[in-house]
Amino acid sequence: MLGKMTRRKSRSRRALSALVAAFAAISIVCAADQAVAEYPDKPVRLVIPYPPGGGASLHAGVIATVAEPYLGQPLIMTIRVGGGGIKAAEYVSKQKADGYIVLMGDITINSLRPLVEKVPFKISDFTPIGRITLDPLVFVGAKNAPFNNAKEMVAYAKSNPGKLVYSSDNVNGWTYVAFKALMKMTGTKMRGIEFGGGGPAVANVLGGHTMAYAGAPAVVGPHIKSGALKPLCTGSTKRAPTLPKVPTCKEEGFDVQWEVWLGLFVHKDTPAPIVAHLRKAFTGILQDKGMKRLIKKINSQINHVEGGAWVKVLEEERKRLKKIYE
Amino acid sequence: MVDNFLQGVAAMANFWSISAALLGLVSGIVIGALPGLTATMTVAVLTPFTFFMAPLIGLPFLLGVYKGAIYAGSIPAILINTPGTAAAAATTLDGHVLAREGQARKALLVSLYSSVIGDMLATIVLIAVTAPLAAIAIMFTSPEFTILFLFALTMIAGVSGNSLTKGLIAAALGAWFGSIGLDPMSGMQRLTFGYAELTGGIALVPVLIGMFALSEILIQSEKSVVRSIAAAGVDDASGVSKKEMKSLMPTILRSTGLGIILGALPGLGAEIACWLSYAAARRHSKNPEKFGKGSLEGVAAAESGNNATVPATLIPMLVFGIPGDTVTAVLLGAFMAQGLLAGPLLFQQHGDTIYGLFCVLLLTNVMLLVFGYWAIQYLRRIVFIPRSILLPCVTVFCFAGSYAVSSDFFDVFVMVGGGAAGYLMRKADMPIPPFVIGLLLAPRLENAMRQSLLFGDGSLSIFVTRPISAGLLAIFVASLGFLVWRSFRARQIKDATVTEQPHDAAR
Repeated sequence: MLGKMTRRKSRSRRALSALVAAFAAISIVCAADQAVAEYPDKPVRLVIPYPPGGGASLHAGVIATVAEPYLGQPLIMTIRVGGGGIKAAEYVSKQKADGYIVLMGDITINSLRPLVEKVPFKISDFTPIGRITLDPLVFVGAKNAPFNNAKEMVAYAKSNPGKLVYSSDNVNGWTYVAFKALMKMTGTKMRGIEFGGGGPAVANVLGGHTMAYAGAPAVVGPHIKSGALKPLCTGSTKRAPTLPKVPTCKEEGFDVQWEVWLGLFVHKDTPAPIVAHLRKAFTGILQDKGMKRLIKKINSQINHVEGGAWVKVLEEERKRLKKIYE
Repeated sequence: MVDNFLQGVAAMANFWSISAALLGLVSGIVIGALPGLTATMTVAVLTPFTFFMAPLIGLPFLLGVYKGAIYAGSIPAILINTPGTAAAAATTLDGHVLAREGQARKALLVSLYSSVIGDMLATIVLIAVTAPLAAIAIMFTSPEFTILFLFALTMIAGVSGNSLTKGLIAAALGAWFGSIGLDPMSGMQRLTFGYAELTGGIALVPVLIGMFALSEILIQSEKSVVRSIAAAGVDDASGVSKKEMKSLMPTILRSTGLGIILGALPGLGAEIACWLSYAAARRHSKNPEKFGKGSLEGVAAAESGNNATVPATLIPMLVFGIPGDTVTAVLLGAFMAQGLLAGPLLFQQHGDTIYGLFCVLLLTNVMLLVFGYWAIQYLRRIVFIPRSILLPCVTVFCFAGSYAVSSDFFDVFVMVGGGAAGYLMRKADMPIPPFVIGLLLAPRLENAMRQSLLFGDGSLSIFVTRPISAGLLAIFVASLGFLVWRSFRARQIKDATVTEQPHDAAR
């Protein structure tokens, strides 16, 4: 009698625990579903890898001010500087893949450096959300440089190997790669001085201490217009809309294509519905009229490619980059 | 120019511009006074909001923030021995000693007056000679900077406390820690031991907070915690007399001059200017032995030096679009967002706006004087708060502040490490400033030196073939020679008196 009771009790207990387990399982599945459905239910953070004042933080500032209606939550800028952008990328790659942390990436940290350097993350650690800008680098000469156009520059470099001194930014930085590609394409030897950033590099070519430099149109454009720098050629397939008089490098006889971009990325394991939500939200943000007006104010322009389509463009670009370093 | 200036005054003289400047100034003072929240951070966070405002509302606001934050860094430096910004690190040396002696009000007032005078004179220079000064500044490049950094490093002798040997050890340690991170030229990792956190190097602000503030807390906590920083009985509310201010004027003028020159050179900023001004003041002082022990000259030198750089950094920014320091790099973006493209054309196209902004700089100075004077009567009481309440609060600020710099938890470890190292250094009577200067200057010296050698294709002759560099080198060698000669003569005199003494005794 006693034994029977115990058995019955234990049976009902087993049934109960099975029920609880089933319920728990169902609720976990539901919760997971809900997490995706209710995304985002708290502010999303945008991680900026470079010091305030540069292109990355300026664009991020503009995007953050118009983001809320499209995203459904505020977008908060977090500046995380170090190792030339490496720290921010590593940080994002090691966070939870819940879509609440977005990386303001660029061509150096998301394409170039993982290809040619040992860094603590991989290209494949990130899923692209969308490209924000695409700017060709424009080669310029100092006012007192012994050449007036791109052909003359290359001719000067050929007859004076190692004598042409140019302002560079960082090893594997934007300007560094521009000249590396130019030297490889033309078989010349020039001497670069790494100034650690675009600011001092421009200062030195303006002061006539170096002969040449390559920078984004927003940076060199005003100096070209004021006559302080000589325009040589742009590293794009078409002439830059803001500098219509400056020929492309291809027109000048050497096919240097070097365009730099800013773009948004999330952790590679972010659930597909969240990635889709983010891609759609940022497409809206980047086409917002107020946004376009503000971007013009910081002397830039949107060149948006939605994440899905961008993946292929990125693959092509990485192949091209590898060739420069072969 | 006078026309432009009058137009600028007219454009500026409206309620909204002036209110925006005042609001910016007050927020700048509050944020700058919190350790770890730097002027750069503050301006960067607030910049996007100004995109929507008219130029003469948004930009006065940001300029007010910048000025307020640089000044306010000295408030915690004096009261709790914690520089609010890196630019106020040199102010702790004498300012806090004065506060401990119950002269907090005096130190705060000297700091306020020196800041305002330095800033005012530098603004006048900015208005008068922006273009010619910028033209000179752009002639400086790596070889000239190498000599300047060498110059700056020799001042370690001036901040070394009791023992030059210990000062040099501290400086060498600072230089060593400064070399951690990516090699500036080749991009190789140095002394990182494979830690990604170290590739960016050791951040300056967390080290400053740890070394100055946390180590101070550790030292203070050894004492009775019930008492306040200054004993209640020694409160001296008298302030600064006219005579005292007058005797400080030569120091303030010298530091202001230095601050203007250093600010106008791209790449040097307020955090270097404060140390250089301090060392120069000590070298020229009639009472050099009082430096580090509560010298008003020390406070005046550091504060007029760092505030004079604020208007001066705008010179290369406006004329060439080259930011003089990190704050102006952010401001440059804010100017661009208002359609004010820096460069030679700026003054022709937007003369009235630019001169309007110059008026803002002058006006915010007057506001700073009034607001600062009013606030000091309350602020000075902080030193009479019992340690048991004040120290835990400051500890919280240390942790929060070092995290806030780049929202990186690693910086908190750096701060704690800096605190422990600072504590040991104080116990060993090893001065902290040379360490900070080594950390700040050694990487820049290395950079400039290696860039110069690239310029010269590997030859050291680059330093003497460029006229400015050769001139600077000559001045450097001459002043080094003078220092050696003076110390040699001082020893001779001492020897002479020592040999005379037994003679006297025999008589």
